[in-house]
Amino acid sequence: MKCVRAALLFVCFTVFTTGVLAAGNGVKVPPFERVQLGNGAVVLLMERHDVPLIAFSAVVRGGAVSDPAGESGMASLLVGLLEKGSGTRDAVAFAETVASVGGQLETSASTESIAVSGSFLARDQQLMVELLADMLQRPRLELAQFDTLRARQIEFIRAAKESDLAALTPIYGEASLFTAHPYGRPVDGSEASLAAIKHAELQRYYEEQVGADRLILAVAGDFKTAQLKQRISRAFSGWRKASAPLPQVPKAQAVASRRVLLIDAPESVQSYFWAGNVAVAKNDPRRAALDVANTLFGGRFTSMLNSELRIRTGLSYSAGSHFDRLLQPGHWALTSFTQTETTIQALDLALATLDKLHESGLDPGALDSGKSYVQGQFPLALETSAQWASQLATLEFYGLSRSYIDDYSAALAGVSAADAKHVIDEVFPSSSQLAIVVVGNAGALRDGLRKYGPVTEMKLADPSFAPVRAE
Amino acid sequence: MSRGLLSGLLAATIACACAPATAQVPGADQVQAVTLANGMQVIVWPDRDIPNIALFNWVHVGSRNEVPGITGLAHFFEHMMFNGTATRPQGDFDRVLEANGARNNAFTTSDVTVYQDWLPRAALATVFEVEADRLRNLAFEPKVIESERGVVYSERRLRVEDSLVGRLQEQVQATAYLAHPYGIPTIGWPSDIQSWRIEDLRSFFATNYAPNNCTLVLVGDVEPKSAIALAKQYFESIPAHAPPEAIRTKEPAQEGERRVNIEAEAQSPLLQFAYHSLSGADPRQPALELLTRILTDGDASRLHRVLVEEQKLAISADSYIDRGFDPGLAWFLLTLPAGADTQKAEAVFDREVERLRDGGVTAQELTRARSQALADFWRGLATIDGKAQALGSYAVLQGGYQRLFDAPRSYESVTADDIRKLAAELLRPGNRTVGVLTAKAAAGQGESR
Repeated sequence: MKCVRAALLFVCFTVFTTGVLAAGNGVKVPPFERVQLGNGAVVLLMERHDVPLIAFSAVVRGGAVSDPAGESGMASLLVGLLEKGSGTRDAVAFAETVASVGGQLETSASTESIAVSGSFLARDQQLMVELLADMLQRPRLELAQFDTLRARQIEFIRAAKESDLAALTPIYGEASLFTAHPYGRPVDGSEASLAAIKHAELQRYYEEQVGADRLILAVAGDFKTAQLKQRISRAFSGWRKASAPLPQVPKAQAVASRRVLLIDAPESVQSYFWAGNVAVAKNDPRRAALDVANTLFGGRFTSMLNSELRIRTGLSYSAGSHFDRLLQPGHWALTSFTQTETTIQALDLALATLDKLHESGLDPGALDSGKSYVQGQFPLALETSAQWASQLATLEFYGLSRSYIDDYSAALAGVSAADAKHVIDEVFPSSSQLAIVVVGNAGALRDGLRKYGPVTEMKLADPSFAPVRAE
Repeated sequence: MSRGLLSGLLAATIACACAPATAQVPGADQVQAVTLANGMQVIVWPDRDIPNIALFNWVHVGSRNEVPGITGLAHFFEHMMFNGTATRPQGDFDRVLEANGARNNAFTTSDVTVYQDWLPRAALATVFEVEADRLRNLAFEPKVIESERGVVYSERRLRVEDSLVGRLQEQVQATAYLAHPYGIPTIGWPSDIQSWRIEDLRSFFATNYAPNNCTLVLVGDVEPKSAIALAKQYFESIPAHAPPEAIRTKEPAQEGERRVNIEAEAQSPLLQFAYHSLSGADPRQPALELLTRILTDGDASRLHRVLVEEQKLAISADSYIDRGFDPGLAWFLLTLPAGADTQKAEAVFDREVERLRDGGVTAQELTRARSQALADFWRGLATIDGKAQALGSYAVLQGGYQRLFDAPRSYESVTADDIRKLAAELLRPGNRTVGVLTAKAAAGQGESR
């Protein structure tokens, strides 16, 4: 409550961590070494000696797309369990070991991967490798810890329904847009899908879907490459491969018309909305033009959307848009919120602003401003060892070369008005082709929403993020 | 939750400028600080890892400077600082910054309002120009005020009315203070949000937005000399004026536990404990930080282990320490699983706090908390953003910026006895406000479950 513009800040960060990767002037990928172990694990090592710290990002391919049908949240639950006991340490001993050296470890799941990241003092290099190897190769996956974590994850969803609707809305949005496609799965599961996961299945999932051939381990910081390479090779060379194949994700079908999913939150005084369609993959060659166009439409404070919904009309504290770029085309969506009484007005305005983007395009002054903005902000994502570890893992994961960062500045500079027009025409959805999701008081919203297309309803209290289909 | 941005920023800075244990902060000797002729303080810390600069203007005004009728005005004012001056129309500030590759944001707390710019080094003079312009020439357009009122109300709905955590916290904070304005919610009470007048804004600006009430912090790819020259060029001619009245009210000692009970359409009960605590500059702050880390930092901490892992009475146990001009609160925040027994969770919390008060902490716990505090301190200094945040916070609220560089040593010197004494002094039932949020009985529960 004390931070203002924080919501927009979040929107911008979202854009810049999942979407925009622009190289600021002079920022290039520093030298690093790539090693592939015999079992397929890829290790990326970048020395940075400015401070005595080592940061790492260990990414395992799979993630929510490898969750069994109806058991969304499996990958998320598994990665959470990795820090609940492994090797010779139970959960308490593990936590005490990390804390006692001031280490930092975080586990996370996403649509296409799970990750363990963190940082340790350089002097604790050996311990860091040992803990990471234990987590990935020798997790205990104990039943009691499984029960506890699963129950807690369910409770976190319930608590978010009462204190953080803005964070839940995109989960409904993706489920509604992608329906049965794996990109529609709630990464951290739903109350229903988590309840369906059984301990034995999780153990099997670990054997089948986690292994050396899925691993990208990127490390940046204060170490000697030869020594750390040897240490990591010793610790990871003996690891088995995943026993099942990595699920292949097909290209999702874009929606060709407009439809609405209304989630009834009767206690809410505000409506939270999301409107999106299938857009582009990570390796789309039009990236620079897409980044500039989205920045100008909904990726910064003076964007077209925020100018209309916040600055000009005061309807909302925040409005923005973003791409989610994955191995296959992910989504593009706009999001905002407003008080219940002005929901239709705000949605109309958001859609009219999208129409304006298509009809009038971007004026040349705006284009230059957007290019400068993306250029000027990018170095802030390339400042620390942790950021570099994450960037290296991302390049490897998507099969991108270092030119993705090194040459981006030039690519941005070269974006023309015609390029911007092309991507707006080709990628940004028309306002008549959208999956729209609204979380709010259904009694007050139902009738007004019908003009946008067929309305499906569900309750916030429902234990899934989708009305009918399994997740 | 309150102070979300601040803690979020620290948490987000993952990598770290670590030096072993209590080593000197790298680059500390390059910090330069001056006070301009008009009383504005300028602090510059060069850091050339990336070609960018963080420029934060810390204005020494927050909801602590408000009175009934104008609650929320400091925060509303923060919004209005982006809405046009006598020389630039609404939106120009943002347009100029963004066209020059810069991003901005701002936040308000009980004590300060902080304006933040993150810019490529080439944009520095331009940013100085527009920052000085809004401090000198801010304009008040009635139509813009009405529109921005809607924006702020939307923010209130997001953070308070549609958030049970926010609703309870607002009530607990208001209840914890009988006299001191720290009881005022920074976002403002709804009736005040609806009724601020243009003359309230004018007088608020005249009183509080004096250059002698500001601390300007620059961190990044910049020569201190040239940054100070730019500060002089753009800011020094803004006249100083009488600083705002000192806040004279001191909160009287609490004479017994206070409680707030909210019944809501809720599944997940909440428990919040707010103890009257220390000012930001109090030398016992490091001891208080280690104390709260021992209780809630990480899976090995006492409250997490007992309440979350062992007894499963809570799904999260967090803490937060106010560090303001005057003595603030030390918060403990529990989220309970659906249908959980709040009394049982409270009893276990009480037992753990009592155990700390009576038995103190072990040497191992103290060592661990120190390691965590030190490592997080260094992680916070890994980015120009984190440095600007830390430097400004120490300069304005925590006894001077030089104390930032003493932080590692100050953690080392905390003893188990310091922590036990502090716990005995602060963590008493009679010194706290307890907030309990539970599900409304029966009504409306039947249908879905």
